Amino acid sequence: MQIEQAASFPYRKPPTESTSAHFPDKNTVTEPLRDDSREKFYERYIQKREGKLREEWGSKRAEKEAKMKANEGQIFRHPIDLLQSEDEEDLSEFAKQIPIGHDRNYASIIQTMEKMIMENDLYMEDLLELSLEALGTSTTGNGSSCKGEVVVPDQFPAGLRVLVVDDDITCLKILEQMLRRCMYHVTTCSQATVALNLLREKKGCFDVVLSDVHMPDMDGFRLLELVGLEMDLPVIMMSADGSTSAVMRGISHGACDYLIKPIREEELKNIWQHVVRKKWNENKEHEHSGSLDDNDRHKRGSDDAEYASSINEGAEGFLKTQKKRRDAKEEDDGELENDDPSAAKKPRVVWSVELHQQFVSAVNQLGIDKAVPKRILELMNVPGLTRENVASHLQKFRLYLKRLSGVAQQQGGIPTSYCGPVEQNAKLGSLGRFDIQALAASGQIPPQTLAALHAELLGRPTGNLPLMRCPSNISKQFPQTVITAEDVHSGLGAWPSNALSAVGPSSNLGGLVAQSGNILTGMLHHQPQQPRQQQQQKQKQSMLQEPSRSINVQPSCLVVPSQSSASFLAGKSPAAVNQNCSFNRSSAIDYSLLSPQSNNSSSGVGQLSNGNLKMTSVLNGYAGPASISQSVSSCSMNADNGGDRQLQNSALASSAPRQLPGLAPNMCNIQGSYSTKSGQVLDQGPLRNLGFVGKGTSIPSRFAVDEPESPMSNLNYGKIYGENYGSKVKQEPSMDFIENAKVGIPILQNLSPNDLMSVFSE
Amino acid sequence: MEGVLQLQSQLADYTTSLYNEKEFLDEQFTQLQQLQDESNPEFVVEVVSLFFEDSERLLNELTKALDQQSVDFKKVDAHVHQFKGSSSSIGAQRVQNACISFRNNCDQQNIEGCLESLQQVKHEYSLVKNKLETLFKLEQRLLKAGG
Repeated sequence: MQIEQAASFPYRKPPTESTSAHFPDKNTVTEPLRDDSREKFYERYIQKREGKLREEWGSKRAEKEAKMKANEGQIFRHPIDLLQSEDEEDLSEFAKQIPIGHDRNYASIIQTMEKMIMENDLYMEDLLELSLEALGTSTTGNGSSCKGEVVVPDQFPAGLRVLVVDDDITCLKILEQMLRRCMYHVTTCSQATVALNLLREKKGCFDVVLSDVHMPDMDGFRLLELVGLEMDLPVIMMSADGSTSAVMRGISHGACDYLIKPIREEELKNIWQHVVRKKWNENKEHEHSGSLDDNDRHKRGSDDAEYASSINEGAEGFLKTQKKRRDAKEEDDGELENDDPSAAKKPRVVWSVELHQQFVSAVNQLGIDKAVPKRILELMNVPGLTRENVASHLQKFRLYLKRLSGVAQQQGGIPTSYCGPVEQNAKLGSLGRFDIQALAASGQIPPQTLAALHAELLGRPTGNLPLMRCPSNISKQFPQTVITAEDVHSGLGAWPSNALSAVGPSSNLGGLVAQSGNILTGMLHHQPQQPRQQQQQKQKQSMLQEPSRSINVQPSCLVVPSQSSASFLAGKSPAAVNQNCSFNRSSAIDYSLLSPQSNNSSSGVGQLSNGNLKMTSVLNGYAGPASISQSVSSCSMNADNGGDRQLQNSALASSAPRQLPGLAPNMCNIQGSYSTKSGQVLDQGPLRNLGFVGKGTSIPSRFAVDEPESPMSNLNYGKIYGENYGSKVKQEPSMDFIENAKVGIPILQNLSPNDLMSVFSE
Repeated sequence: MEGVLQLQSQLADYTTSLYNEKEFLDEQFTQLQQLQDESNPEFVVEVVSLFFEDSERLLNELTKALDQQSVDFKKVDAHVHQFKGSSSSIGAQRVQNACISFRNNCDQQNIEGCLESLQQVKHEYSLVKNKLETLFKLEQRLLKAGG
């Protein structure tokens, strides 16, 4: 097809003499138009669109040709002709058309570029090249309408086309303004039916849809389903109802995200990630996975805000690698349930508890700072294990530790050696997302289990998964979870909230969370930043203090073979991990490596075991010693359940690395990333996103004023995992939760209802 | 004619009291104010006006719904939910809280409770409406005085 088009259009490559083109005086622009980020912006975003544009153009071509024939008298001046002309008028004509503008923002630039590609059959790269070149070398002023200041922000996502649907006109107006300030292109709609028609008529005109849940003419979830089926666009749900069940519904219907009202601008800034993620997931490219070292560098190097707001080399490289690592998973539309991990191009390593223990001990031996994949590999001496496997696992582990240290700092009593800045955590979290997804994709979770989970999630009868029952139990848990989440404001509180939130979506998690919630509340008390929590917190406090003991991660607990997730999950709960080591008393996985308070603890935590770590770490974060035993028992429960649990664990683990292990993706992130901030911030972030935080208003002040990105990223992580996790992008979050939920269910059974509930009750 | 400085401090004090003392407004309102810029100079006033309109409508609906022989709690809950959403969007904290307890009553299908809650919500709404209108007036005066 390209060849066809190339043949029809002679200007496939711009002539090199175009540099002599006169263009508007570049003094009129405040930034050099040829700066790298700008080019990258175009290349990345627009090129991804070019394919689609070409498709659309194909159908319009006949029309245009007919039209041109009809207007024979009309001289068609191709933009490239204009550019190469010496005539000043032509150049100003070109300047007007060229979107690499002077006084326009990215949103309009993208639109114009796309329009030009479509109408003039230009290739984006040509257009880009021409424009940049011309603009870059222009010396003479021209009649262009440049105002002198390039408004374009240095941010990739600008120009994203958003459709907002909400029957509440107040909210609609506020959202519109917020999105505009994020440099997005906004269309608002107060009726779902109108929105649907708009989407149908103008397919390809929107990148993402934001929809309210409660609408009079159509249920938001119904709209969500339809959009997903017909247009396959990412849909983000919004609601003032932040109850776990509501969020769970959103996820099970395939929402990419669920925002709780009142929505803040920071939350909207990151919605572009859903678009990007979806695009990548849809790519069927099977590239070889890149060097993990590069990823490591990228991951560590980039800062959260940077990552979130702009595409830099590192992030992109990382993401690309992540995408590559998902190759096996993303066979067709990322249908996890259908894909056999063995279809992957390379053998996947399952990070079992024992393996992880070996890993952690090797890391301990070398010292966390000196632990390089090569040496770890040597120390581990595991046949068949490659350096890449170790490297990626190490990366995740590091993130986990960072999170731990972050939380530890907050708590004050926990080794803070791994504390990373919030941004980092957030960033890592986001990176972790991909990791998790990759891990999930890499088939560490038995496809059958995933499929079962997925089916369960979708409400299809699975029959074989005993844990499926849990959802009903869990839903009961959720409300409480949510409540507690709100209460948890202290640094640790963040966890509980996270945990709670985490629990929300996944019924299993609820159980887990409940447990951890207790623990957390205890912990929360310990950090009375927000005197919300229950009395239990006091008891829990002692628990929190406890250094991490060996955490017996139960295999069932989220033992996700995912490499890093497990450890990260475990490690994610900052402080908590250390404290909750006692979790896994009975589990097969004995993470005695978790040593409380030493640096080792973080590694120990990591070792918790992939699956269990996740679970336990979550619990750890939340519960004090007392709860640990509870969680432990719950963990054991999970272990007993075997296979399904495994899957769950892994799911949790994989998803949670960034977030609290297993419980809620956010939790991990929150803890890690927010440790530097007040607990509320953490809470707010993830919770909000997860919808657990019921009260947006009370939180905002604390909430991440400094790091708006972090919460988002955390949440996103969770969601992202969800997305990558399930067989369908949309389903992923639910997958995660389900898996988590499953794990949690057994735990719930162990705990007395009161305990669980008390955690959540305000 | 009040001096600009006077008006400014008056406005500041008033605003502070709205946030701190009585908690009429919360940080969300600040967000709204921050959203206002040259491209949208009347943003806050517009949004708040929309909110007022919408609220009156919702409150009417609620009154009607609760006046029925057999109360449709689902409908009532839906309205309250929406009211909660919009009030939280503009940062009317107390209204939002009143809505939360209203919803609890709905869940319990407690008609008495609902009626009480409705009164409460109406009360809080009129209070915050009053406050906001005063706030806008102060701002107007300040603008006129050249501040």
